Amino acid sequence: MEGFLFWFCGILMFLGGLMMVVQRSAVVSAVWLVFSFLCTAGIFALLSAPFLAVMQVLVYAGAIMVLFLYVIMMLHGPVLEDELIPSNKALWPLIAIPPAAVVILLVGWVKGEGLRTMPDSIAADFGTAEHVAQLLLGRYLLAFELISIVLLVAIIGALAIGQRERKLPWK
Amino acid sequence: MNILTEMIRGWFGPDKMSDQMVLILSAVTLATLMFVVMALCALVFTWMERKVAGFIQSRYGPMRTGRWHGWAQAVADMLKILGKEDIIPAEANRFFFSFAPILVLLGSLLAWAAIPWSPNFVSADLDLGLFYIFAVSSLAIIGILMAGWASNNKWALYGAARGAAQMVSYEIPLALACIPVVMYTGSLNTSDIVIAQQGGVLNWFLFRNPFIFVAFFMYFIASIAETNRGPFDMPETESELVAGYHTEYTGMRFAFFFLSEYANLFLVSLIASMVFLGGWWSPIPGTDFAPALTFIIKGVLMVLLNMWVRWTLPRVRVDQLMYLCWKVMIPVSLTCVVGAGLWMMWRGQA
Repeated sequence: MEGFLFWFCGILMFLGGLMMVVQRSAVVSAVWLVFSFLCTAGIFALLSAPFLAVMQVLVYAGAIMVLFLYVIMMLHGPVLEDELIPSNKALWPLIAIPPAAVVILLVGWVKGEGLRTMPDSIAADFGTAEHVAQLLLGRYLLAFELISIVLLVAIIGALAIGQRERKLPWK
Repeated sequence: MNILTEMIRGWFGPDKMSDQMVLILSAVTLATLMFVVMALCALVFTWMERKVAGFIQSRYGPMRTGRWHGWAQAVADMLKILGKEDIIPAEANRFFFSFAPILVLLGSLLAWAAIPWSPNFVSADLDLGLFYIFAVSSLAIIGILMAGWASNNKWALYGAARGAAQMVSYEIPLALACIPVVMYTGSLNTSDIVIAQQGGVLNWFLFRNPFIFVAFFMYFIASIAETNRGPFDMPETESELVAGYHTEYTGMRFAFFFLSEYANLFLVSLIASMVFLGGWWSPIPGTDFAPALTFIIKGVLMVLLNMWVRWTLPRVRVDQLMYLCWKVMIPVSLTCVVGAGLWMMWRGQA
């Protein structure tokens, strides 16, 4: 049962990611990304990491994607026109490089390590609220705080840039 | 475990059915039950809302349908909605347009699973119950954005954008206001939170700590904004946006939005009663005869309070709404979290 659900979520997650890349409308892409995130949450839940699963839904599928969607919709999101697809045939091999690299790396990894599915046993406290809290506020405290400073700087920067360019309709 | 799963196991016997089958069967039964309760709530609350509005505005509200105070008006309205033609605008994105109401309804229905109705009846007794409720109800925001965008209508899009901004922002004070309680309980399990409030009205979290008392009002204000109701009904402002994100919806699909609005109203009221008002415990210790009924009565009283606020206060502006959230409620809720922690240390309750 768990093995089946693992493959089910995994394949759906992969399909969601694929659909996100091939869509033309940015809004539709974002919705597929949400779908992919939800499947990731399913895999966390299967690994008996409830805290991570709920976090994935709350933070990624909820808050972050809503902000993405919000921005895309407000800007009347970019819809890829035909002209934007490189007509220069010489560029096509270049586009193929990143996915090809990923495929080669994956194949190499599977050959070396074997295909992995659900692990048979997981540490009892893996992905629980206590475990994550101890990692975040203990071992990785410095990194955690530094990241929040980086985010704060990014927010202030965005505000500063936005402030300068803001044109109110009545001014 | 909940009583229903035990009953199903008892009826079919441990030998006739595997544990998995029992779980699947009880999950289906519970989901259906929750949906029926949700639909009934929507019916009762629409009638209640109209009567409360009438009372506040010195008129009667519905009086004719079903003789006694127009009790059947909500039923008649629901039948009328179900009979309406299902229209999808020609320029709409058909898939998202039809999927959005389902997602919105799913967000509220999923959250109902973790509500502890009585000591032995919780649909899903999750370790992270409270956290889970907040997480799944954030799915509804995506549904609302989808509905507004797929309608291809500028009022709908504005309504959706306002709704998303408002709900994402007010989620923060909503969750922060519950943190002091979680600090006391040491658990996010919804049943544990209620069990920790045993022993009469003075043991309810509302009266345990002055900071939680303030946090309760933060929660209440944020919950009004979270359900998109007046005075924070910016996404639906009739005078500016027709009906907001569900402008283009008719019939069954509109009914889904309608249903989820009242389901969310009852949900936030039940959470308030669960987290701050002692859940299924009665106010006087030793009189817990009908835990589920006590819990529901508390929830309905909170709904009444919500309606009272909605029909009394004028609507705020969008910028005032955002100001209130980011510059007043989040700092106050954070102060409540820190203050409650300090109070616990001072009184040696930690």
